[in-house]
Amino acid sequence: MATLATLVLPGDEIPHGALPKGTGKKKTLTLGPGLRHIPPNTVATTVAGALATDDKKNAALVDYNSGRYLPFVGDLVIATVNGSAAENFNCLLTPNTSPATLPHLAFEGATKKTRPQLPPNSLVYCRIASAGRDLPPELTCVDPSTGKGEGLGLLKSGMLFHISLGMARRMLAAKGGITLLDLVGAKVGFEVTVGRNGLVHIDGGNVKTTLAIGRAIQEVDQGAFGDERQKKLAADVLKNL
Amino acid sequence: MIAPEVTLTHLNRADGSATYTHIGYSIIGAVNGPIEVQRRDEQPEDATIEVNVRPAVGVGSPKERHLETLLHNTLRSIILTRLIPRTLVQITLQIRSLPEEDDSTGVNTSLTILPHLLHTALLALLSASIPLRTILTSVLIAVPSSASPNTSSTPLLSPTANELLRAKPVRSIHVFAFSGDRKLLLNESDGTFSYAEWAEACEKAEEVCCGEEEEGGVKLDEGESMELDGQVQEESLEKWLRGVVRRKVEWEQRWKSAT
Repeated sequence: MATLATLVLPGDEIPHGALPKGTGKKKTLTLGPGLRHIPPNTVATTVAGALATDDKKNAALVDYNSGRYLPFVGDLVIATVNGSAAENFNCLLTPNTSPATLPHLAFEGATKKTRPQLPPNSLVYCRIASAGRDLPPELTCVDPSTGKGEGLGLLKSGMLFHISLGMARRMLAAKGGITLLDLVGAKVGFEVTVGRNGLVHIDGGNVKTTLAIGRAIQEVDQGAFGDERQKKLAADVLKNL
Repeated sequence: MIAPEVTLTHLNRADGSATYTHIGYSIIGAVNGPIEVQRRDEQPEDATIEVNVRPAVGVGSPKERHLETLLHNTLRSIILTRLIPRTLVQITLQIRSLPEEDDSTGVNTSLTILPHLLHTALLALLSASIPLRTILTSVLIAVPSSASPNTSSTPLLSPTANELLRAKPVRSIHVFAFSGDRKLLLNESDGTFSYAEWAEACEKAEEVCCGEEEEGGVKLDEGESMELDGQVQEESLEKWLRGVVRRKVEWEQRWKSAT
């Protein structure tokens, strides 16, 4: 990184010059996590991190990689089923938070007659349907417009690994991705599911592959590996499989 | 003044953590939150804040409870509790070591540790990315009794336990905490002092915490204003805090430049 992004501490007011200009198509300014609007027209930060702006989307946010996952609408998460109530499952996104609800009917092909049966502690890949601060977050496993699962649903076999929230964002980003997975994926088949809440689920068919890939992802996360070192790590992983 | 040493986010299982070491005081702080709150503590429109102070030896006593109350009231004014209603923010501060002379300085020991506890709590909150209204900096000021009653002695800024011992008898000590926008958040004083002495101490504390008041306009380049006229200005606690956060951000973003 050639230039260090603007450093912000909580309570810093963002000068208007630092905010996106609104020259793109969208005229209204979008404030992402870490920023709050104090009427009439002050924008202040609430967390410590680096200020990131996007002129095209007319958006500003504070980039940080620490703390607990906070649910946002549209995020893909891996939820753990905690129990089942009359109409929905109670799921946990992070430990010790109030449970999120996943309706029984929010699965592909589920009807009142054929409800899915999920025992406690099963893992579900789902999307956050609503996340207000006054209500527990609501999850869904179907795309509301098509009614199809689109890859969401119960995660079978495999194993769960913890990664940092920043790493999860990095893996889910549209561009970029992780070189390690491309290289290893060219030689061995495996399934990887990334949850925005800092969890990654790997199913490599057998325990050895699953563990090797999961550990490698954690290593990339902790060591902040770039492309070169990921290539080396991928070669190591393949050699030992 | 020696800048405190800080390690951020080093505990694996807490959401945010910090170890803070300064002039013989060493404190580990951990923050969990926002997490589920017990029914009886739940507030419909606010987050509940829980502060636990654990002493270096033994179990907590009324002194720790008193410190917890002070910390709770100060932190409640900087955490944006309205943004995370019906949740709990749990702050645990474990005192790891105290300077050897701490007990024999003859001043109130709950005041000498208060600034360090406040700094540790703030750093752990920053590490846990809890939404905050502003930052906080705090300092201890001791006014020793002067040799002759007419001349006022110079106040000691953030004195070490050893300095306090040598300055004995200390007439009064004051703890000030300031927010990022130079507002007084907390003041605890002990001993005998006049209003003029208090005002002088307060002014000095503000200078240490927030830096010199700028005369009109915003300073643009912080880095260069440090060495005016060839002499290095004393670093304010706010600058130190920015340095700590800069290291945190650099650490978090190092994958962008890694090979």
